[in-house]
Amino acid sequence: MKKRDKRNWFKFAMLPVAISGLLSTGFIIVENQPGYRNDITADKPVTDGNLKGLTETGSKTSDSKADSKPVPVYGNWKNFTTKDGLPSDKAYCVRIDGDRVLVGTHDGLAVYEKGKWRTYTSKDGLPHNGVVSIDVSEITGDVWIGTLGGLSCWSGGKFENFTQFNSGMPNDLVYCVICDGKDVWVATGGGAGQYDTYTKKWEIFTEKNAPMHEPWTYGISAGDGKIFIAAWGGGVIEYTTKTKQFRDYTDPDGEMEIDLLPDDGPVHDITTGTTYANGMLWVSTYFGLSSYDGSHWKGFFDHDSGLASNFINFVRAEGPWVFICSDKGLSTTDGKNWVTYKKNENNSNGMAIIINGTQKKELPLSPSISHNFIIGVDADADVLWVATSKGVSRGELMK
Amino acid sequence: MKTSKLLLIFGILFVVGLAIYFPGRKIARKHVNTKTAVEDHPLLCISCHLYTSKNPLVSKLINADYYSPFNMAVSKNGDRLYVVAQEANTLMVVDPESHKVLNKIKVGEYPHSVVIDDRGEKAYVSNQWSDNVSVIDLAKSKVVDTLLTGNGPAGLSLSADDKLLYIVNSFSSDVTVIDLNTGEERKRFTAGNNPTGTQLSPDGKTLYVTSRRALLAPYGDTLKSELTVIDESRQRVTERKTIESAYIMENIAFTPGGDLAIITLIRPKNLVPSIQVEQGWMMTYGIGIVEQKENGRVIQLLLDEPNAYYCDPFDIVISPDGKKAFISNSGVNCISVVDIDSVRSLIAEATPEVVKTYSNNLGISSRYVIKRIKTGADPKGLVLSPDGKRLYVAEQLEDRIGVINTETLEKINSIDLGGPRRITVARQGRRLFNNSGHTFQNQFDCYTCHPDMHEDGLVYNMASKDMGRNLTNTQSLRDIGDTPPFKWNGKNQTVYKQDGMRFSTVLTRTEQFSYNNLDAITAYIITGIHYPPNLQYNPEGKLTESQLRGKDLFERSKDNTGKIIPENNRCITCHPPPYFTNLKLASVGTLAISDDSIQFDTPHLNNIFASPPYLHDGRAATLEEIWTKYGKEDKHGLANDMTKNQLNDLVDYLKSLRAPAYEHKSSKLYHASF
Repeated sequence: MKKRDKRNWFKFAMLPVAISGLLSTGFIIVENQPGYRNDITADKPVTDGNLKGLTETGSKTSDSKADSKPVPVYGNWKNFTTKDGLPSDKAYCVRIDGDRVLVGTHDGLAVYEKGKWRTYTSKDGLPHNGVVSIDVSEITGDVWIGTLGGLSCWSGGKFENFTQFNSGMPNDLVYCVICDGKDVWVATGGGAGQYDTYTKKWEIFTEKNAPMHEPWTYGISAGDGKIFIAAWGGGVIEYTTKTKQFRDYTDPDGEMEIDLLPDDGPVHDITTGTTYANGMLWVSTYFGLSSYDGSHWKGFFDHDSGLASNFINFVRAEGPWVFICSDKGLSTTDGKNWVTYKKNENNSNGMAIIINGTQKKELPLSPSISHNFIIGVDADADVLWVATSKGVSRGELMK
Repeated sequence: MKTSKLLLIFGILFVVGLAIYFPGRKIARKHVNTKTAVEDHPLLCISCHLYTSKNPLVSKLINADYYSPFNMAVSKNGDRLYVVAQEANTLMVVDPESHKVLNKIKVGEYPHSVVIDDRGEKAYVSNQWSDNVSVIDLAKSKVVDTLLTGNGPAGLSLSADDKLLYIVNSFSSDVTVIDLNTGEERKRFTAGNNPTGTQLSPDGKTLYVTSRRALLAPYGDTLKSELTVIDESRQRVTERKTIESAYIMENIAFTPGGDLAIITLIRPKNLVPSIQVEQGWMMTYGIGIVEQKENGRVIQLLLDEPNAYYCDPFDIVISPDGKKAFISNSGVNCISVVDIDSVRSLIAEATPEVVKTYSNNLGISSRYVIKRIKTGADPKGLVLSPDGKRLYVAEQLEDRIGVINTETLEKINSIDLGGPRRITVARQGRRLFNNSGHTFQNQFDCYTCHPDMHEDGLVYNMASKDMGRNLTNTQSLRDIGDTPPFKWNGKNQTVYKQDGMRFSTVLTRTEQFSYNNLDAITAYIITGIHYPPNLQYNPEGKLTESQLRGKDLFERSKDNTGKIIPENNRCITCHPPPYFTNLKLASVGTLAISDDSIQFDTPHLNNIFASPPYLHDGRAATLEEIWTKYGKEDKHGLANDMTKNQLNDLVDYLKSLRAPAYEHKSSKLYHASF
């Protein structure tokens, strides 16, 4: 058992301290910077529905034989901060929408289009300036925005707002929003919510009617007719939309910081995000990353993989690759190969640490991503946008 | 029998008759006075006991089945008119030359609009009360398919290539896009509030959707309605134009060159006391000119004149040469003809400051309205012959199609659709309801504030002895006959009283209805206004699990802790079925500083989902807000113990409530209180 090395036994001995420390850190961060959660749309097509351009060869990688494909590496980073027009350096989420990029910040929604930033705030109709999650409906093109004060549908230049007071939405703290066909799903501080845009009806899922530990939910994603809810202390709640049946995936070790038995479920019950693509469910926690292929769970940790940190804020899968946002950089993996982007502490440069099978190399980047605290990410055919606590960064696929 | 005996019998009968007549007349007089709130209404028993009867047999005898043409389409060569007969659930195929009705094709419930494909092979009819579109093979005059839509399909538009059908769902406020190859719904766009009209631009690139109700906003905010703009090729809503201070934008038309789109609209003055009626300034009616260029303006122009209003503009068509626009003014039975070049030059020469004044300028219409053409009762849909020489007018309450020569601008004849010749009392009442002739300077009619006999979603400042007090949320008139008293303060116990002397004093500011007319309009309001089915929330009468849970909450007698809820604080106490009102006054903690110290009439709740905003002064934008924002003291039913899930269930149940007629379809007998 790789994980049960000496360090882990040490951790085990320090378990009460570590758990209380990490949990309190998590809570504090969550309360102070709620934008740690982000949006996930696992099945968003990226140029013809796969990751064309994410490999060096440019070949499509929608099959599961990604281990034979080179790892996509992004470089030529360009960083944007308030100096460039962002309303705030605290960027909580990012979403590519055709020719424009939508960024949720602490001080409003920023839209990058034709080389210019434009900001929308509550003065323009947003329910709250803290924009923590964004998704775009593939059907209508409407932009759904999760904020710290409600949900908004931005369509045709107007904001239509939903709050816990004026609608059936569960709670105004909308940590994550996704569009799944005609339905809009939210993960909120008061449970998960499903809004049917046809019937205009809300349905709420909490510990009262779903196998959750408590109503607090952080992440949500969709794929293959299922919804995957990251529920605080409840692991992953899977909801099959056709049968309306739930099942939950929890860590048999509960909320212990270490996995006593590896690969037996999610690495922790306190989950921060889910994402689904290519038949693979990825689950982020503050204690590592998990993947689930429908039969087997697998855990990934910073000490036994290329993962930048176990403290993961957000994950987003595109094809076989998953992008992992952590407090110590951004990692990308297909489960075997890894690329992790880190910025130097003392200057704007950094590196991409590439692990291809057993080979590891470090690629200098100048400049690098703007900050190592990563909260959101989105990938398109050949660009990667990253939301950090010091602005947003845009990387280009290196050929 | 001897003569003396006969005289004796007649004498006794006469004496008995006199003994009965005088006290009987006195009782009847008192009864009628009570019901009508006047002392000189004729003692005519049939006024109430026949004309307002809901007994199916009596109703059958005294009423008639009219066609009520509403909207139309014309074939490409002009040899056929397709007329939506709303109350007959029929599409009528009419030969405009011979004036013969060639076919009557049964469609769904309460059809609204019709469009014909470019090849003239198929007609699509939106069935507003069936939530579907009938696809008609015109060669066979037969419905060959039915397409499912959103709630309340109304306006229709085909894409330029006839591959997509855009259906404006008036009740669910969205637009369904149907792929006509598969018949499947491809997507649904959110539209404005209560949308109806739609038109594709001449270049086929842009689809406009008008809306009737204003966007929900607190009283005092500037009224705003949405004109939705859809990019046809991108299949995206690209703009939601805000039309300020206007609503009831029924329809839209483009000039053939595509430089202008023109919408019909109403500009209400609901923020000022209704004393404005006698100042000649309560409701104004006009058009919105939407310039089709980058940063194009939306300029509102009135159709009215000083001292004369042209009420309820409904449809608009533009001549093929782009010179004239024809607008049906349903409330004054006429067509206004607008010279579009005059409009162009008027707006071209105006500075932005001057343009702003146009929307309130009653005198400016003389510069572009070139003719008013009288029509039959309640002109609705318009269509031009392909050569533009004939304008056909759906005269809804005449069962006729008026034909107008567009060169002479004269009505030349009518096409009789073959409806009943006699005008029943209730039909006469409907004509009165839809006509502003009984309001000072024709400023408005009942229909203006009660479109579709429902309500317009606005809050009015009704004039009273204390100006600026007692804001009033307009209430629906659907099926209100059995829910007296009326008005939010419950002061009017009968419809007679509501629409009699006080009505003219407070609202219409002119002579009151004659008693015959009062009988008629009362008969119509009590017997002729029905709820649409609640297809969105309760199509089959079978409640969902959530609605059943909500029903339990609605009827509960104990709170979540098991504590008994006082009877007067339970939902079911004040809102019992079938109308979900106990017909009594109540205080629910909503009295505002601007209100007189009164209790409020308990409103009926059927189809309540369709009546936002809520509470007597419309302060609650949604049903949820009744409790989340305005129910903090638990005076409007105990609710603060509920979880969010429970409140959602309760709201879900409330939205499921529907008219008793749909609950008891098999029932043959209606009980009228009149």
